[in-house]
Amino acid sequence: MQNHKFILNIRMPVKKIGITALVPPELIFACDASPFDVNNVIPSSRKYPGNKLCAWTAIWKEMLVKRDINVDSLIVVAGGDCHNALVDGQKAAMSGIPTHFFFYPFDGDSGYMESQLHRLSEFLGGIKCPEKFKEIRELKKQGQIIDKKRCCGKLSSGEVFRILISFSDLAGDLTGFSRIISSLEETDIDLRNRIALIGVPPIYHDFHEVAHSLGLHIVFDELPYEFIRHGGTTIQEMAYDYCGYTFARPLEFRIDFLKKELKKRKVDGVIHYTQFACHHVLEDEIMREKLDYPMLTIQGDLPGNTPQQIKLRLEAFREVLDRL
Amino acid sequence: MIGLDVGSTAAKIVWIENGDIKYRITSTHNWKELVTGIDGDNIVSTGYFRNIVPHRASLTELTAAIYGARHYFPDAEVIVDIGGQDTKVVDVRNNNFVINDKCSAGTGAFLEFVANYFRIELHELGSMHAMAGRIPDINNTCGVFALSEMISQLVGGYSKEEVIAGMHYAFARRISYMIPEAQSIVLIGGTVKNEGLVTALKDVLKKEVLIPDEPQIINALGVLKYYS
Ligand code: SF4
Repeated sequence: MQNHKFILNIRMPVKKIGITALVPPELIFACDASPFDVNNVIPSSRKYPGNKLCAWTAIWKEMLVKRDINVDSLIVVAGGDCHNALVDGQKAAMSGIPTHFFFYPFDGDSGYMESQLHRLSEFLGGIKCPEKFKEIRELKKQGQIIDKKRCCGKLSSGEVFRILISFSDLAGDLTGFSRIISSLEETDIDLRNRIALIGVPPIYHDFHEVAHSLGLHIVFDELPYEFIRHGGTTIQEMAYDYCGYTFARPLEFRIDFLKKELKKRKVDGVIHYTQFACHHVLEDEIMREKLDYPMLTIQGDLPGNTPQQIKLRLEAFREVLDRL
Repeated sequence: MIGLDVGSTAAKIVWIENGDIKYRITSTHNWKELVTGIDGDNIVSTGYFRNIVPHRASLTELTAAIYGARHYFPDAEVIVDIGGQDTKVVDVRNNNFVINDKCSAGTGAFLEFVANYFRIELHELGSMHAMAGRIPDINNTCGVFALSEMISQLVGGYSKEEVIAGMHYAFARRISYMIPEAQSIVLIGGTVKNEGLVTALKDVLKKEVLIPDEPQIINALGVLKYYS
């Protein structure tokens, strides 16, 4: 009897769901699972994968296949985002991890997006905790607040970046994540050179601090901003909202959005981070042509500290901005 | 005040005496000799080691190049600095720059590698180029493969001089991809003392090429001018 009661009280452990890029975390939590963004461990991983194009996908693929990252299942963002991920995701799937492929619509068709979200929900066993939608909506509002505070020099760029980037999976724990956000301490930073960091996030764990120490203050992180910008409390709402995920849409759509954000944030210069062997590298000339700001393009490859060659470019870019 | 440029292979100081530019150049490992008896407060630095040597203020080579080159060519549009370990192109008009520091093929290190292979002094590359009757095609953009291609050309009957000339052209083509459209370009850095390379660059770029009297001291002069 005693034993039986004990069994009744036990709750099934929450499933850990690996995600390779932006997958509505609201839906994963609402399906009573916990998302785990496999990219978030990479910058401090010091892993040097064997067979690689982009180090991001190569490292998470290797870690998943070797079970250095343990997940119950994996959601690979394929269509509309990254073809390297599509291939490396299939390799992870072949190693025996139950995998679902999630596709964003290039044309912003919310009907298509809705069908994708329904399929995802089915893969995850259906919505069981709808209250999570609102909880996450509140957290994303806080994300917007800290993003604004950073833009007026009230919060450090590195700390805010780390929180914004973690909005992809909300650290798998809503209560803990909320605590991390409230523990941020305000400061007063003299924002001399206001920088927008566009492209995929740098693979170096200390990039924001290095940029800051060289007099470049990042007030906009393009991709992490997408993580706090979208949401919804029903599948329909999410379908409508996540259709605006700029990285999955045509370049004009993304550039129009960027132009507005850069103006709003009164940026002085743009750093375009590109990753070796990533298709986004090809976008550099278009960004340079369409965005009318001094622009520095940098390219990273393997994770670790920001290398000396990148520091030289950052310092020289600061000097360019000082001269203008 | 003196301008000190400590780069990957050479160290240079520049100072102005009665309006004349004075300078000294040595190898990087002897940089201390250049500043013996000079207080750090009187030094402004640039180059790869700018933040390690004593200095009052520092500046990157990319900005120093602009101030140094403008001393000789006030309307400089594009500056190409061919250094020991990297090649930098500064587009003064658009406040833009590109650096090749991933591959040795377009840097002074590659020329040194070739000179070592042929057991000649670096400065002899230019005079050997001048003696070439034909110029073989060397297509590889990677330094190591370019050297094996040079060896194949030697085996195939080209002379050492001709192969060196071919290598200069390969080097010039590689750099040319980094250079934007412009009326003229300013070449700086110790490597441009090699006349063979300059000939090849002029031929490949088909632009007016301007070279200051002492191209190796431009960044040291630039940092001095910036802070003067
Ligand atoms: S950096 Fe590019 S190639 Fe790599 S995962 Fe991101 S989108 Fe894909």
